[in-house]
Amino acid sequence: MSDAPSRRTIELTVNGERHEVEVEPRKLLADVLRQDLGLTGLNLGCSHGVCGSCTVLLDGATARSCILFAVQADGAEITTIEGIAPSNEEMHPIQEAFWEQQGLQCGYCTPGMVLRTVELLRENPDPTREEVREGIASNLCRCTGYQFIVDSVIDAAARLREGEPDGHVRPLIGAEEAGSEDDHANPAPAAHP
Amino acid sequence: MATNPRTNTEIPLVEKPSDLKWIGKSVKRVEDPKYLRGLGKYVADLGFDGMLHAAVVRSPYAHARILSVDTSAAKAMPGVRAVVTGAEAAEIVDPLPDSGPAPEQHVLRVLAVDKVRYVGEGVAVVIADTRYLAEDARDMVLVEYEPLDVIADPLVALADTSNLVHDDLGTNIAYERTFTFGDVEGDFAAADIIVKDKLHWHRCAAQALDNSGAIAIYDAGSGEMTLHTNSISITSFSFGLAASMRVASNKLNMVPHPSGGSFGARFSNWRTAVTAALGAKVTGRPVKYSEDRLDHILNGDQHSSDRYYELELAMTEDGIFKSYRTDVVDDYGAYIYLGVGTHGNAMAQVVGPYRIQSTEYRLRAVLTNKCQQGAYRGFGAEVANWAIERIVDKAARQLDIDPAELRRKNFIQPDQFPYHIPTGNLYDSGDYERVLDHALDEFDYAGMRAEQERMRAEGRNVGIGIVSCQERSVYSATEFWFWFDEPAAEVTSTPEGVKLVVDPMGNLNVTLYSTPFWGNSSDTMAAMLLAEDFDVDPQTIGIDYGGTKGGLPAAGPGGSRLTVMYAGAIRGAAGKIKEKARRIAAEMLEADADDLEWSDGGFQVVGSPSSRAEFADIAMTAHLFATKLPDDLQSGLEATHVYDHPYTTMPSKDRSDLGSFYPCMGHACHLAMVEVDLETGGVEILRYAAVHDAGTMVNPRSLEGQIIGGTAQGVATALLEELVYDDQGQLLSTSFMDFLMPTAMEVPELLIGHEETPSPITEYGIKGGGEAGRMMAPGAMSAAIDDALREYDVHVTDLPATPERILDWVGQKAGS
Amino acid sequence: MKPAAFEYHRPESAEEAVAVLGRLGDEGRILAGGQSLVPLMNFRLAQPEHVVDVNRLGEFDYVQADDRAVRVGALARQSTVEMDAAVAERAPLLREALGFVAHPPIRHRGTVVGSVAHADPAAELPAVALCLEATVTVRGERGERQIAAKDFFLGPFETAIEPGELATEVAFPASAPGTGYGFVEFARRHGDFAIAGAGVTLALRDGRIADPRVVLCGVGPTPLRAAAAERALDGGAPDEETIAAAAAAAVEGIEPPADMHGGTRYRIGVARAQVRRAIAKALDRAEGGEG
Repeated sequence: MSDAPSRRTIELTVNGERHEVEVEPRKLLADVLRQDLGLTGLNLGCSHGVCGSCTVLLDGATARSCILFAVQADGAEITTIEGIAPSNEEMHPIQEAFWEQQGLQCGYCTPGMVLRTVELLRENPDPTREEVREGIASNLCRCTGYQFIVDSVIDAAARLREGEPDGHVRPLIGAEEAGSEDDHANPAPAAHP
Repeated sequence: MATNPRTNTEIPLVEKPSDLKWIGKSVKRVEDPKYLRGLGKYVADLGFDGMLHAAVVRSPYAHARILSVDTSAAKAMPGVRAVVTGAEAAEIVDPLPDSGPAPEQHVLRVLAVDKVRYVGEGVAVVIADTRYLAEDARDMVLVEYEPLDVIADPLVALADTSNLVHDDLGTNIAYERTFTFGDVEGDFAAADIIVKDKLHWHRCAAQALDNSGAIAIYDAGSGEMTLHTNSISITSFSFGLAASMRVASNKLNMVPHPSGGSFGARFSNWRTAVTAALGAKVTGRPVKYSEDRLDHILNGDQHSSDRYYELELAMTEDGIFKSYRTDVVDDYGAYIYLGVGTHGNAMAQVVGPYRIQSTEYRLRAVLTNKCQQGAYRGFGAEVANWAIERIVDKAARQLDIDPAELRRKNFIQPDQFPYHIPTGNLYDSGDYERVLDHALDEFDYAGMRAEQERMRAEGRNVGIGIVSCQERSVYSATEFWFWFDEPAAEVTSTPEGVKLVVDPMGNLNVTLYSTPFWGNSSDTMAAMLLAEDFDVDPQTIGIDYGGTKGGLPAAGPGGSRLTVMYAGAIRGAAGKIKEKARRIAAEMLEADADDLEWSDGGFQVVGSPSSRAEFADIAMTAHLFATKLPDDLQSGLEATHVYDHPYTTMPSKDRSDLGSFYPCMGHACHLAMVEVDLETGGVEILRYAAVHDAGTMVNPRSLEGQIIGGTAQGVATALLEELVYDDQGQLLSTSFMDFLMPTAMEVPELLIGHEETPSPITEYGIKGGGEAGRMMAPGAMSAAIDDALREYDVHVTDLPATPERILDWVGQKAGS
Repeated sequence: MKPAAFEYHRPESAEEAVAVLGRLGDEGRILAGGQSLVPLMNFRLAQPEHVVDVNRLGEFDYVQADDRAVRVGALARQSTVEMDAAVAERAPLLREALGFVAHPPIRHRGTVVGSVAHADPAAELPAVALCLEATVTVRGERGERQIAAKDFFLGPFETAIEPGELATEVAFPASAPGTGYGFVEFARRHGDFAIAGAGVTLALRDGRIADPRVVLCGVGPTPLRAAAAERALDGGAPDEETIAAAAAAAVEGIEPPADMHGGTRYRIGVARAQVRRAIAKALDRAEGGEG
């Protein structure tokens, strides 16, 4: 094996901002986002793709950044938890719902849980509690026992369906990227010319 | 006074104050926005200029002599700044603080020196520019081991005097003693019926999603060691950690940072801190040691109780419990840094909610070649709860009495409180029948029994289980030393200090000590308590967490003590501030201080509410207008208050009475309804109810969050989670593929109810409730499984009751 | 838990991919979904010197279905295949099995072909490939070849793919309209690998079972085709007795490896139950059946 692993320069668009980063191929996307870009919202709970605390949206679909090399995401559009709230003063309705319902305790799984919720509600805007439970089964939470997370997702669904208290409907993250109605969670790993 | 509707007797209660404005409300938590935005900075998120990263070389053997450690190749790897062996570390740092029985014989070092005693024990540490590079170099450290016979089975280790985990100890039994309280022998001799049971609570662990981590910054010039850590620091005991690091006690600053969960795993978990400190001393740069999942599960010092029980319950022929014997062997692993504190927790409530008059507790703490135990939600009391509820269920089966009714007839009665159980501990207040009736109602017990019969008639194996369990809170320091007739130090302080500062605008800032935030709503608790005292919105209160340097005495979370202790400390500090504010207001209003009353965020003249000084104006005056203050007062408006344990009594010399050491006694009743699939052993939860009594509730919603989260862990303990070591001491469950934490599909929807029997000894009558759920669910699930498989005479004796174990139990009975 | 260093290759075309793989031989590890490979690399249980990222080979991102087969290209994500209407119609067993594969976020990245090529004995998709008698297309420097599923799985994580070759497609023969199907498994948790799983397809003709296929996963070194169970079903009446006999036959002689989640005897019992349930499901759904 060569002494100096060959580094690559990759381009990541994260929360709408383009970044060029030079990385070793083995550097995990989670670490590039956290260390190179300072986006420490996503958390490493297991580093083997089971807990979902490292979840990001990659080209509109949830992905576990701890089991993705950053080089694989070259050219991709990534949304992290830091990209969800519309401003410093306002939070996204899903975040508001989690706050209202106490859908978090330590907060470690929360960024991943919120992003998974974005995807769930995009696919199914009016889920039953059972559907929510199955939908969030992908993400582990050790604190809440899930019940208030289910409450939060149901609450968030209502907020999104009915629009904001002031009447405006906030665009769902990834609603445009997701494409057609049938194209539920297709991340479109298309070849890049 | 209140009336128990069932018995129509009066219950002496400390009335919960009726004019509470904030306490009792399910307000939104004040800490949430930053976590929702991904801006909560856990230790793993922090970085400092020039910071290096540590990776620990872990032993692949459970028991082996270390013959040599060759770090030369590792040192030559790219980005490596230091590689330190155990022997080298021993020249730089001292053994870790250890409250075990014989710290000089089971010496707990940050890295092993002479031999390794469990798979995963650290033998060297690599410090490099990145964690990636540190792990590359780790692979190049060459350790020569001489494998020794593995001590895997505690029941064998007990008797083995030739193969020892710690040669200096001369035995594998770290501690052995029998405590007898009351006339156990006589009560057993007089009993009509003696029920026996034999149980094994297998090893599991909290496995919070975040792990222990620390960043150490050492300044050789000043001798100051700054530790950014997510472990609790316990200000009053941090001198012990400073000594380990060979740092002066007043030069260690443990700065707390949030942890993504703890459930006990962050309780004085100081190995990571000393590892980082070692690295900082060697390299002169900030060093981060952040455990990853493998580090933590193998070497995180945080495994649960691993107990083998032989139990006996003596009762009359109509099911009145008279006496109870516990014989327990606990497999502590290779070290025992928290001593046998988990058994103190057991003894705080060993007789459960029952009027048992005498009890015996025989304890043997055994060492084996496994990672050591630490604290996991319940801290040993959850195991004792499971044990007694198992034997009570066995008794119910034997007597053919409904399990709810057998419990009811044995409850300590409301008019018996405050009540001393035979061990000496005090139960401050309780109304167990009220909780039981509420739970039966919440669950629709009668309706569900009918439903169960209907389903059983269809051939479905459906069962209902019920448990009534204690949830002690607010421990005293005595439980760490009453094990010894001649303890090294009869410590009696478990304080909690807070500092309260009012700024010139009248805004409040509270500083909490000894603890980081780890999901337990500490910010919200403090804010709500302050809101109650000052009539302000909790969201407006400033909160920070002070380090140990110059920090107030505090013990932090643990034993569900925090809210109770904050209530006392904040009350005290608020009282001091209000006293000064009153006197300043009196000056401002040209009135007598005694004629003023606090009302709605300010002081006003009694009977003349228009003559009033708002708190903000008082604060401004206090800060900026010195000449307007009474002559004996200085500028400013701040106070500190240290609140000691509200009720501790000393153990007797002969230890026939351990004194009161865990008096704030909460209680809960859980019911579970399950269906067992006899082809797969799979268990489905059909219905689950939990009614809890933690005294006065501060934030009911957040208490419910604890109950649900705790129940989820308890259900998982009952069905899923086990740390499996094979007979060579290899840990088989090293990842989340094998250590099975529940997803949302494995946790039931809970029906929750509350009762409030206020504590007579705490502010507002609050009791702790943070360990909720985990202390009850294992028993409820076990009972439900028994009931579902009653025609096979199944009695769950091992947890987790895995599908395979369940089918084995059925098979054993069915003869197949 | 950081992976060891490797040389990274990202071919932009199939030719390039084949050339790189040919050059690297068994030093090259293919990275498609990565949902199995990268965790192993994080544990350093896998330390390939070269990783060949095939995610840019857009020509393989397809799901094509017609009356004869459902062809899944190497880059078709599990989620995509799961949601494809044509797959639901023509290879419903595949669709049902996909619902058991881990969780949706994993399925967004994981590929069907990748899972088949990974050949985890406990995995669902290799079992489906075996049940539906799929064909794997493999391309190397020497050209392309087809491997029948029955010849494809050689052992745990071992297939007939040679070093230097890339699996480019799995073609699942379409199930005839009216085919009954059922995939069931028992796992400790939602989304986990199965303790044992079973897949069944069959038809009902004149009230009798025809063309039965029964596979098991999680019970041996590879997915297993339960020929004895198929014989017990073939031509039989769709009743409890037939089902029970088939289930018993399915586990005859199997020796599932024991681990901390279940011993051999236990797994046999679970497997038998899964076969029974899968057959019942298939009968329910078959045209002419109850469902």
